[in-house]
Amino acid sequence: MSGASRSRAAPLRAGDKHRYGLWLMLTPFLVGTVVLVAVPAVLTFALAFTEYDALSPPTWRGVQNFFDIFHERVFQIALQNSAIFVALAVPLRVLGALSLALLLQHRRRGYGVYRVAVFLPTVVPDIAYALIWLWIFNPVFGPLNIVLGALGVPQIAWLVDPDTALYAIVIMSLFQIGEGFILLLAALRSIPPDYYAAGSLDGAGRWQLFRHVTLPLLAPWLVLLTVRDIIVTAQNTFTAPYLMTGGGPYYATLFMPLLIYEEAFDRFRFGLGSAMMIVMFLSIGLLLYLVFVTMRGWGYEDDA
Amino acid sequence: MTRKRRPFTFSASVALVAQHAPRAAIAALFVLPLIFVLSASLRAPNQAPARTIEWIPDPISWSNYVRVFDFAPFGTYIGNSFLVVLIGVPLTAVVASWAGFAMAQMGSTARRNLLVFSVMLLMVPITALWLTRFVIFRYLGLVDTIGALVAPAIMGTSPLFILLYYWTFRRVPSEVFAAARLDGAGNLQIWAIVAMPLAWPTTVAVSVLSFALLWSDFISPLIYLKSEQNYTLPVGVQLLQQMDSTNWPFLMVGAALMTIPIIVMFFFIQRFFWLDSRG
Repeated sequence: MSGASRSRAAPLRAGDKHRYGLWLMLTPFLVGTVVLVAVPAVLTFALAFTEYDALSPPTWRGVQNFFDIFHERVFQIALQNSAIFVALAVPLRVLGALSLALLLQHRRRGYGVYRVAVFLPTVVPDIAYALIWLWIFNPVFGPLNIVLGALGVPQIAWLVDPDTALYAIVIMSLFQIGEGFILLLAALRSIPPDYYAAGSLDGAGRWQLFRHVTLPLLAPWLVLLTVRDIIVTAQNTFTAPYLMTGGGPYYATLFMPLLIYEEAFDRFRFGLGSAMMIVMFLSIGLLLYLVFVTMRGWGYEDDA
Repeated sequence: MTRKRRPFTFSASVALVAQHAPRAAIAALFVLPLIFVLSASLRAPNQAPARTIEWIPDPISWSNYVRVFDFAPFGTYIGNSFLVVLIGVPLTAVVASWAGFAMAQMGSTARRNLLVFSVMLLMVPITALWLTRFVIFRYLGLVDTIGALVAPAIMGTSPLFILLYYWTFRRVPSEVFAAARLDGAGNLQIWAIVAMPLAWPTTVAVSVLSFALLWSDFISPLIYLKSEQNYTLPVGVQLLQQMDSTNWPFLMVGAALMTIPIIVMFFFIQRFFWLDSRG
């Protein structure tokens, strides 16, 4: 691309006034980011080592907060629930998005309507989405159990049963995969048709084409999607349990974001909440590192 | 795109059915929840719950959509939600397009650094900022005001929007901006007269996406608002559920009221997402 040479010429031609003007246009974004992201992030880190009720000034506690939270049973449960949720939801969501993209990738009459339909649940606001699924999962009147009953399958108590509540939340998360679907659709489009033609000439079947052409070329996108989905999924477990179960029954759907919210805004323990936040993000960081190590070298090296 | 019409034969129609049936079924599965909401929102509130799947309630109780306003101050909630969006969406478009425009015009080092910075911002988990944003908002006197809900618009709501504008403006040939500059136009003038008219599809997309983000935001009002007269629709709907968690018709009306504007918006921009879908 000629981008590099073009842009190197631009600031030389333009005067200082022009350059200051550009930075001025960036100011709202940069100042907003400092106030709304940088300062809160640093504050979270600092508060994690204090006791703070948001009224009186914080007092220093050192690393004691971290010892305390690991001795709290609810914290252990929430951490474990979040880990199970991410471990179940992320692979299923990525796989779901990939299957949908493969199924609907071609330019055929009517496929546009299907694509829009598949994307629709993703744009439904969280609160409305939680209410909708609360209705669907209703053990007595909910459409899901009515269908199961009509099929003669034993009905499930879903959100009321501590053994199934977490899986119910996983199931509802599988319908909001529009972003991954679009990303992979675009990635599939970017594969030159010649690659498939060449593969077919070599006598490759459909599976072999998928295995040796599509999958390796999609690999970088799948890694990106997995990384993003881990970050998003780990955090998105607030609204649904908050509205649908309150974290119950018996803490079965108590996830980290909900516990942190309760810790800070119900019990006014901002210090402990911040410490939990840091543990949660260190765990996500560790998980992302593991994903990176495992998935490295899945694609063709020269394409990276 | 024109395509040849194949002669209509039996085997061709079998192939067509085999091609469409599984895809249509999956598409239906994704739309089904929304159909359930609409149907459940139109049931008479005093009617005993159905024990079979009921597609169209009998009688259809359109009055639910009116009576829910007597049940809770939904007019206030909707007004507040629209206020947030009316301030937040234009602010987002201005801040994001300024930032994207400036980035696209900068030297390669500054541009690359800002690009990396924006992508890293995308990865920042927003939950990590809840507690301390509350502390900062209280310090700034924004707690229990609409300001706390609009605040993210000051930074362009999402770094994604800055990147969208950046990519749009990078695709404009540099001669276009250079010519305007030779005519003596300043940065702001070039942005307003040359850049923004070229970027209107991006502005539409950013507006709809930021509308969706601000309209759906449940966590900010939950954390930062206290008085009911400031509540937006998401907390209002949640309040409805706290008042009577078994009044399903009204709850589904709440869900529908929240969802319909977003879906209308989404259909408005879908052609930007499905450029090739007509064929």
